[in-house]
Amino acid sequence: MSSQTDSPSLTWDGTRSVYSTLAALFAYGVRAKDALVYSSAYLVFIAGVEVVTAMIALSLPLSPAPLVIALLTFAVYVGDRIADAEVDAATSPERAAFVTRYRRLFSIGTAAAYGLAVALAILGGPTALAIALIPGAFWILYASDWLPSLGRYFSRLKEILVVNSAVVALAWAVCVVCLPLAYANHAFTPTAAVVFGYFFLDTFVNTEIPNLRDREGDAANGVSTLPVVFGVRRTRHILYALDLCLVAGIALAFHAGVLGAAMTVGILVGLGYALCLAWFVGRTERYGRLAIAGEAKHLLVVAVVVALGAAGF
Amino acid sequence: MWWLIYGRTTVLLTTLLLVSVAVGTGAAILAWRERPKPGASPLVALLAAQAWWSTCIVFRLQAATIPAKIQWLQLGWVGVVCVPVAWLYFALEYTGRDRYLRTPYIAALAVVPAITVALVVLGNHDLLVIESYTIGTDGVVRFEQGGPWYAVVAGYTYLLGLCGVAAIVELVTSDAVAFRGQGVTLLIGLAAPWVTNVGFLLGAFGTAGVDPTPIAFSVSGVAYLGAITRYQLLETNPAPRRRARQLVFDGMREGAIVLDTDGHVVDANGYAIDALGVPRGAVLGEPIERIVPEYDRLRDENTAGHLRLGDGDEGRAYDAAVTDVTDVHDRCIGSIVTFHDVSTYVRQRQRLEVLNRILRHNIRTETNVIHGYAERFGDGDASRIVQERAERIEAVGEKGRQAVELFERTRETQTARPLAVILDECVEAVRETHPDVDVSYDRPADDIAVAGVLAAVFDNLIENAATHNEGDERNVTIETRVDTDDVAVVITDDGPGIDTQETDVIRDGGESALRHGSGLGLWIVRWGTEIADGKTEFSHRDPTGTEVTVTVPRLDGA
Repeated sequence: MSSQTDSPSLTWDGTRSVYSTLAALFAYGVRAKDALVYSSAYLVFIAGVEVVTAMIALSLPLSPAPLVIALLTFAVYVGDRIADAEVDAATSPERAAFVTRYRRLFSIGTAAAYGLAVALAILGGPTALAIALIPGAFWILYASDWLPSLGRYFSRLKEILVVNSAVVALAWAVCVVCLPLAYANHAFTPTAAVVFGYFFLDTFVNTEIPNLRDREGDAANGVSTLPVVFGVRRTRHILYALDLCLVAGIALAFHAGVLGAAMTVGILVGLGYALCLAWFVGRTERYGRLAIAGEAKHLLVVAVVVALGAAGF
Repeated sequence: MWWLIYGRTTVLLTTLLLVSVAVGTGAAILAWRERPKPGASPLVALLAAQAWWSTCIVFRLQAATIPAKIQWLQLGWVGVVCVPVAWLYFALEYTGRDRYLRTPYIAALAVVPAITVALVVLGNHDLLVIESYTIGTDGVVRFEQGGPWYAVVAGYTYLLGLCGVAAIVELVTSDAVAFRGQGVTLLIGLAAPWVTNVGFLLGAFGTAGVDPTPIAFSVSGVAYLGAITRYQLLETNPAPRRRARQLVFDGMREGAIVLDTDGHVVDANGYAIDALGVPRGAVLGEPIERIVPEYDRLRDENTAGHLRLGDGDEGRAYDAAVTDVTDVHDRCIGSIVTFHDVSTYVRQRQRLEVLNRILRHNIRTETNVIHGYAERFGDGDASRIVQERAERIEAVGEKGRQAVELFERTRETQTARPLAVILDECVEAVRETHPDVDVSYDRPADDIAVAGVLAAVFDNLIENAATHNEGDERNVTIETRVDTDDVAVVITDDGPGIDTQETDVIRDGGESALRHGSGLGLWIVRWGTEIADGKTEFSHRDPTGTEVTVTVPRLDGA
């Protein structure tokens, strides 16, 4: 009698258990996705991959440079998220809520990450240390009221067309290319100049994509970006033009023997992918996802380069 | 790889120094985010200076040539000299001693660091670093440090460190757990590099001539991080306490003069300085007898009281007191003279005294004269009316006198009198003046005592109950209800009752030209009851009459 009544119950409990396990896993997955996206942690990995790409392109030996850049990226980007949590509450309420909830953890985590990055950069010598301090210096100047006149000057850079994205792209390109060079005590060669140019223009493009999402807010705040000044359609055309300029530059560099075949193919594949993404500009409103897809391009590039390298190219 | 190129000592030192840089930089960022809270900026400077010091040692160890090593050795001094200044700045600002952080003081503190930095920039001298070196078996280049300026910087560093400790120690003895925790962790943070430096100077460490002090700063960084995260360092800070106490001392509407054990003035607030009418500089350090000649009288409990400052019409009267200041062992370490302006009160008292004399003497004399002359008119109505009005004027004068005496008694210590004696007198008086009124009196026990000022209250209430009564049978009842702490006297009559407007005015405590009572009697009841720390309640009786309940505290110690 008891077995008859227990069996269905067990079956039901078992089904429920499977469902609850799946639900719990799904919840963990959602939280992990939130943690990766809202904290910009995915950028940390991509930043490391960018440095690895630069090191392969420049044939540099293994060094802590990718780790240093990853730590700096975490410290600077998540530090910005903490500082802008109140402002973000209006435009990105979910992200702001996530950052506010883990504010203390992020605060200590970013401080520790920056400390570790600086300590590791010292191993690369004074130049590596100076490079490691660049993002932090910009972050301090942007986010603080310290040295008000200087702070205001740098804050104004954020509002000037092209300059705002160019400053970010320049700082990023310097870190990605020059830090591994400093670790290797390597000179700034023509190849380094090409790789530098690639990362500069590519970062510029990737910086303008999130600006498409924020164009109304930027216009209200007096920040001049490509979408604010030229509109969405012309921005798409400008992004096409920049990506095509890069394609031409990379092809020329290959032709001049400055860039290896595997790296040239990898970058061109990545630029083809970037042109496809640019097509979506004005044809979607999911610019957040478009920006993440744009950053993920570096994974494609390094995968192609490694695959070609393994194939003997 | 650097760890393969360099020797074991170098690798170990470099690793530890990098840890100190990482911890110091991390703690500096956390402190940076706490700006502009007191102490945040100097703590950032302290940690940054320490990180720079460590960094320079690492670069020195990594440098391939002797000149490059000397260059990093010299540059490291920038961090060395900034650490003690930043520490002292932090300790002073965090504990609210910001008055020492004015530009002249900071400039004075910066002289030694500035000279040191100048020596670093100039180079080519052996004031800081003597350019002689030896290379140890472990490959580490050992430099001779100890030029004349080296000793100056070392002494200066220890001196500023001690000054900072003196400020922070106060936190350790705080009542607040957070402040105690902050104080202990901050002292641990200072002690670690200090002890390490002493050990290095005594040759206790086998660090091949490399000063391991900045390595110990990683312990400081951990301590500061712990203080920030666990004890709310910078979040819950004691800086306002000192300023707030000073603000209250300076801003209070009472004069305060602080004396040492020898009776010399060591501090005085703004109110006291204004009242004394002399510059602050002429007061501080002077014997109190020179500033307040009546000090000895004020100090004596038997003769303490009013103090007069200023001459002639501009002179003002103050109520003054002298209180001893004691330390934690209950030892007298000084005293404080406090005084507040009572000139207005004294003037009011003088006016009351004059008013009392006029009410008591002049009105009675004048009404007696009117009464005497009115008798000469004969038995006509005019004579009777004039005499009645003269009696009413005298009665008003009497009430006024009672009121004035009531106020006079507020200055005196409340004297206790047996309630039975007070009521006996009142009942006897009313039976005498109103023989046609039946006064029923429930006499209380003899041991119940109340404030003597209540005699006027009961006198007015009982007389009022008898006077404003009509009809053939006029009754006044006086009952007493005794409680442990209080006693209630209930006076009832069967008269027409008191007009509601009268009781409303008394209850609200103020009159106007349009809204006022008809005399002083009920006011005397209210004021007298208030002085006796009691309360009065009026209620109408059915079908007619008034019940007044006066509840006052017993003063017989029951």
